[in-house]
Amino acid sequence: MNSLDPRVIRLPKVGQPGEILPKAPLDQFSTFEVFVQPKEGKPFQHEGIVHAPNLEMAYVLAKETFTRRFTCSSLYVVETRNIFLSPLTEGSQNAYDLISDEDDNAAQKEPYEIYHLLKRGKQHIHAGTVQASTPRDAMASAKKALATKAVLNIWAVRSADIRLTSPDENDLWLTLPEKKFRDAAEYKGGDKLKKFLEGTQ
Amino acid sequence: MNTEALKDLLYRIADDQLILGHRNSEWTGMGPLLEEDIAFSSMAQDKIGQSLALFNILNQLGEPPADTAAFMRDESSFRNCIFVEIPNGEYDFSLVRHFLFDTAAAIRFDMLTSSSYEPLAELANKIRGELKYHTMHANTWMKQLGSATPESIRRLQESLDSALPYALGMFEQSPYEGELIREKIFGGEVLLQQQWQQKVAEVLAHTQLNTPDWNIYRPVMGGRRGKHSEHLQPLLDEMSEVFRIDPNAEW
Repeated sequence: MNSLDPRVIRLPKVGQPGEILPKAPLDQFSTFEVFVQPKEGKPFQHEGIVHAPNLEMAYVLAKETFTRRFTCSSLYVVETRNIFLSPLTEGSQNAYDLISDEDDNAAQKEPYEIYHLLKRGKQHIHAGTVQASTPRDAMASAKKALATKAVLNIWAVRSADIRLTSPDENDLWLTLPEKKFRDAAEYKGGDKLKKFLEGTQ
Repeated sequence: MNTEALKDLLYRIADDQLILGHRNSEWTGMGPLLEEDIAFSSMAQDKIGQSLALFNILNQLGEPPADTAAFMRDESSFRNCIFVEIPNGEYDFSLVRHFLFDTAAAIRFDMLTSSSYEPLAELANKIRGELKYHTMHANTWMKQLGSATPESIRRLQESLDSALPYALGMFEQSPYEGELIREKIFGGEVLLQQQWQQKVAEVLAHTQLNTPDWNIYRPVMGGRRGKHSEHLQPLLDEMSEVFRIDPNAEW
């Protein structure tokens, strides 16, 4: 089927009777979610997505894609499919009301990171770490430990799935505050235009 | 302190960073992925920033201001190695050059953190994070493409084979080599080259690329003495075009 419409190209193959085929591998990179800590002591927040062939490449590409301006003290990335989402609520409904708080009493628990969306259009912000056996269990633990106010959405990520910035990589942003030339405001374009217009009157 | 020796060293490093920064910036808007385009452009900008810092040190030593030094000198007074001026070619070549050059730059500046010339030691210490990212970026790509597909391995290998003679020209010695080492300004090209070969081999060992047999290559030298390839002058013409039209322009 030849079409210029990507939706048509992505349609599943009809196949032949009796034929069993493996699913075609992705013909493009996976996506990875990027979290940035703007300043020491502040929580990490979700900044966006990069395409990359693997987690390490995602970290390398995220560093310049999302932290080449303003300030940054740390960064981490996680593959999109490793992020688990609660239902998204509207208005005043708390997303935690839609989450069970039953502990699954599993013997093996490990750390999960929890993120809250407090306002539509804003970013998910790191709320804390809980011990859990599954993403569902992590949300249940978060409901007990971190649900201090109404949130619109909750994300849970297994800590082991995150590519963190290691302590010896903390100096990657050492000269960033000096790179004001990447900030449009630094060029004071409005002031220059005003001066030019005044000069031509 | 031998000022002539020091100035020669500073010009060598500043010119390397400026010319390769300009070359790499030619990829802006044409990189293979959006994210990589941004990363490669940022690193090109870092290199030009590093050359600016070095030209400012030279200015303190009585040399012309940075813009004049960068845009108004004749080709024959540029002290960069020929490696940084040859054209970008395909992205595989640019990546291989980035890997070979930045590995050397990171070691060079690491050696300079203990330079007896304090402004240089301070600068080397200040930019260590930039250099760490540059080598991390280069190493990650080499490891990725150096063991990905037969095509990626072949292309990197061919680029590596053609880049290595030029890369060895980075270590062309200065006439002041002895003074620089004696006065503890810089540990010298021989030491730098040894450490560089070790590091390059270490990264390549994580790939399916061949470990270089260093003895078979004849280094392409001359750049450090102002003897350049036919590719530098067109680069200088383009880089300095706006400045030469109106040296007093502000933007």
